[in-house]
Amino acid sequence: MNVLRTVHFPPPISGLLRSLSEVGFFDRSLLIGSWVMPLYQELYGARYLLRTLDVDFAVHLAHPQKQMRADLERLITDLGFIDFMGAEGLQKFTAGGYEVEFIAHRPGGREIAALAIREWNINALPLPFISILIDFSETAVLDDVIIRFPIPEAFFVHKLIVAPRRLTVEKREKDLEQCTALKYNGPQNLDKVICYTWERKRGGPSGEFEEAASAIV
Amino acid sequence: MKVAEKDNAVRDLLEEEYRRSRDVLAALSEKAARYPKGSLNVRKKAYKGKEYAYHYLVAREQGRVVNRHIPKAELPDLRRQLEQRDKCRKEIQAYRKRIAYLEKLLQLPRRGGEPYE
Repeated sequence: MNVLRTVHFPPPISGLLRSLSEVGFFDRSLLIGSWVMPLYQELYGARYLLRTLDVDFAVHLAHPQKQMRADLERLITDLGFIDFMGAEGLQKFTAGGYEVEFIAHRPGGREIAALAIREWNINALPLPFISILIDFSETAVLDDVIIRFPIPEAFFVHKLIVAPRRLTVEKREKDLEQCTALKYNGPQNLDKVICYTWERKRGGPSGEFEEAASAIV
Repeated sequence: MKVAEKDNAVRDLLEEEYRRSRDVLAALSEKAARYPKGSLNVRKKAYKGKEYAYHYLVAREQGRVVNRHIPKAELPDLRRQLEQRDKCRKEIQAYRKRIAYLEKLLQLPRRGGEPYE
């Protein structure tokens, strides 16, 4: 098990991670976005200092009829976060200027609004390619809290796939900068992840992608 | 005079944060507006050797101070709503401060406190 010694999250986020871990959220769901970079920095030496103030979690989708496992809406608001509705009815939480949101995998190309997740009593933003992150993850322990996050190779491939699809240049550049930071770590499972995304044939990977991935690695 | 070279990555990040902060501020302001206005006031009255407490919601409406009696049964819910509203206001202040700071950094025209349109 990876042990994190130098990573420090600000108080609202560290409290949130602890609570999510205690209810078993990280059994299959994970922390994603730029907040994973400090973990990569400690574990793999991938240095990337810029961090946004929104904290994203990828939620593993269980069977829709699954009973509620934990009421995350209540748990998060009890921690002092305020819940509010973002665009298109997406539930978000904020505390101390940090914004928390949940993202789920969206199969197929059709855009759908926020997805209600009964298992955790929250709703999540469905986005394509999130399964790449969810299916290739690892865990680390930070102050007795187990956190699940994508393996760097999956994070890297995901960023490469989504970068050209971004609507803003800034986000695209940020994705590629994170890829650049990760290339120094020399992902060992990259081929496996590329094959996986290839086989899924969900309109994502293309020949251009393979070239881009090879060029960076 | 030496001028520092513009770092696009940092600027883009700050601009994105600025936009996000304004979006959150708008959502929080909308939420705060849905909560009741005013504060709780307790009036104690003695009657036949017993003391009774009556709760009122004190708020300003069209320039006048209005005291609205709150039945005991509605009290827990109202208290919870007022707590939520205060939490919301505190968070709104944090975002307003951040927006003002980012406007200064990014040299944008000041819009900080005004509602987001």
